[in-house]
Amino acid sequence: MLRMKLYKQRYLFLMLAPAFLLVLLFQYVPLVGWLLAFQRYQVGLGFWASEWVGFEQFKRFFLQSNDYVYLLRNTLSINVMMIVTNLSLGLIFAILLNEIRHKFFVKVIQTVSFFPFFISWVIIYSIANTFLSSSSGLLNELLMRWGIISDGLNILGENKYAWLLVVMLEAWKSVGYISIIFIAAISAIPTDQYEAADIDGATRFQKLKFITIPNLMPTFIVILILNSGWILNSNFELFFMFTNPTNWEKMEVLDMYIYKFGLQQLNYSYAAAVGIVKTIVSIVILLSVNAFSKKTTGKAIF
Amino acid sequence: MYRSSPADRMFDLVNYAIMVFAFVVMVFPFLHLFNYSLSNPSFVSGKFLFYPRQFTLDSYKAIFENPDVLNGIYISTARTLIGTLFMAIVTSMAAYVITRDDLTGIKFFRKYFVFTMYFSGGIIPMYILIKSLGMVGSFWVYVIPSAVSVFNMILIKTYIEGIPKELEESALIDGANDAYLFMKIIVPICIPVMAAVSLFAGIGQWNSFIDTQFYNAMNPELFPLQYVLYNSFQSITSVEQFTASVGDPEKYRMLTPQSLKIAMTVITVLPIMIVYPFLQKYFIKGLLLGSVKG
Repeated sequence: MLRMKLYKQRYLFLMLAPAFLLVLLFQYVPLVGWLLAFQRYQVGLGFWASEWVGFEQFKRFFLQSNDYVYLLRNTLSINVMMIVTNLSLGLIFAILLNEIRHKFFVKVIQTVSFFPFFISWVIIYSIANTFLSSSSGLLNELLMRWGIISDGLNILGENKYAWLLVVMLEAWKSVGYISIIFIAAISAIPTDQYEAADIDGATRFQKLKFITIPNLMPTFIVILILNSGWILNSNFELFFMFTNPTNWEKMEVLDMYIYKFGLQQLNYSYAAAVGIVKTIVSIVILLSVNAFSKKTTGKAIF
Repeated sequence: MYRSSPADRMFDLVNYAIMVFAFVVMVFPFLHLFNYSLSNPSFVSGKFLFYPRQFTLDSYKAIFENPDVLNGIYISTARTLIGTLFMAIVTSMAAYVITRDDLTGIKFFRKYFVFTMYFSGGIIPMYILIKSLGMVGSFWVYVIPSAVSVFNMILIKTYIEGIPKELEESALIDGANDAYLFMKIIVPICIPVMAAVSLFAGIGQWNSFIDTQFYNAMNPELFPLQYVLYNSFQSITSVEQFTASVGDPEKYRMLTPQSLKIAMTVITVLPIMIVYPFLQKYFIKGLLLGSVKG
């Protein structure tokens, strides 16, 4: 019977096979690679013959070096600032845009603000370089011409600007995208709530405060939690472009450190161990944001 | 009607001002770069460029004579077309199959795909795998690992589940096999969602450069345009070096490394800018579908 059924479904299995095999190869096999972290992997020996060393790589990261201090500080601070900035600006932007009656104007603003979401970090680097570079950036040329400063501000290369720079660039790229989700949520609010408020003589600000914002909270929480789960994994290219030898103390995050030790210095096992640390950090962030939101708003995903 | 109180009018005024500011912040950077690329670089220092100064196409002439840029355009186009096609075929077939509740082991297959959205091996294990597959230094590394997108699969699956079941059932009763059913009935109906996910994938392919850094940094013939541009930030220090292969160094005397990089930036972003306005509605549709599914 089963054989009959399987034979009848042969086309379905054939259609599923390419995706099944590709996922097996490129998603499941690399999971085995986590075991590298418990080895002293040597390229010449390969995975099976390399020596197993238990938690040695983790000890090296946490006990023999202090790198984890600045890495966790940078990773957590930058990501938290990014989430807070993106979500609050996205929410405010969506609410303000929704208050504009001129439909064509709304459409234009939405179109231009969504666009940066589709360009690569190389392009954004080029734009940042054109405006902010210390020697030939437009900002510095203007500030120097007006006599406000005598030497160019090295915004792309100095520690003190690092966090502000990447948080702003990320906001520029993503706020339009996030606001679209909020705008969809606003349009899903039942209109009878507003009609009832109109009858009661509510002002525009009262409607915003008592109807729009409370109705957006569930969406806000969902995006907040999803973003806190994704964000450690999503911005590699940003940090790849903007981390440099003069600002790494404030800019280097776990991902870049893994890249540096793994693919540049070929210390695969150590990098894989730091990769596990990163995954644990990202799960901890996800669960704490979830718990925090459950406690404060009573809403959560898990 | 409702527009009466001074506070209201004040709010509108401030609100429009904020939106105009947002418009400028979003649009001006592109406008400035575009005008810079069409200007004589000696005349642009310290100016907001709302229009080109001393209009010239020399920056573009120089970059289109550069073999690395031309090869970059070729590689980027190839990976965008082939990569998107692979993704569309592999992912849509699987998406259809996992809508079929009657398939043996369907619950396992669904979990099998969804699980991968939550866990990944990370950079290092992936690199070792690609290397041991012999894909380092090949074009295929751009298009094969990305041929399955579980996220897109779920978008397509959701869309197919919105199609009335009777349509499929009547075809099956008429004796059509599953492959025929997929090709002749499901695919034509799925055009909108397929367009959306293909566009996402296509833009993702066009924008990729980090896989080149990981796997093909030693193979200049496989550099996509984005990577050629990235490289130029590190390596172009003089115009002569960039135009060396062309011969006549006097021809581009007035250009600067900066003007070359900016012209390259413009040609790298232009294809996206051209398709974007037409396809924005698909993006929004796909995005909302995705965020609803979470």
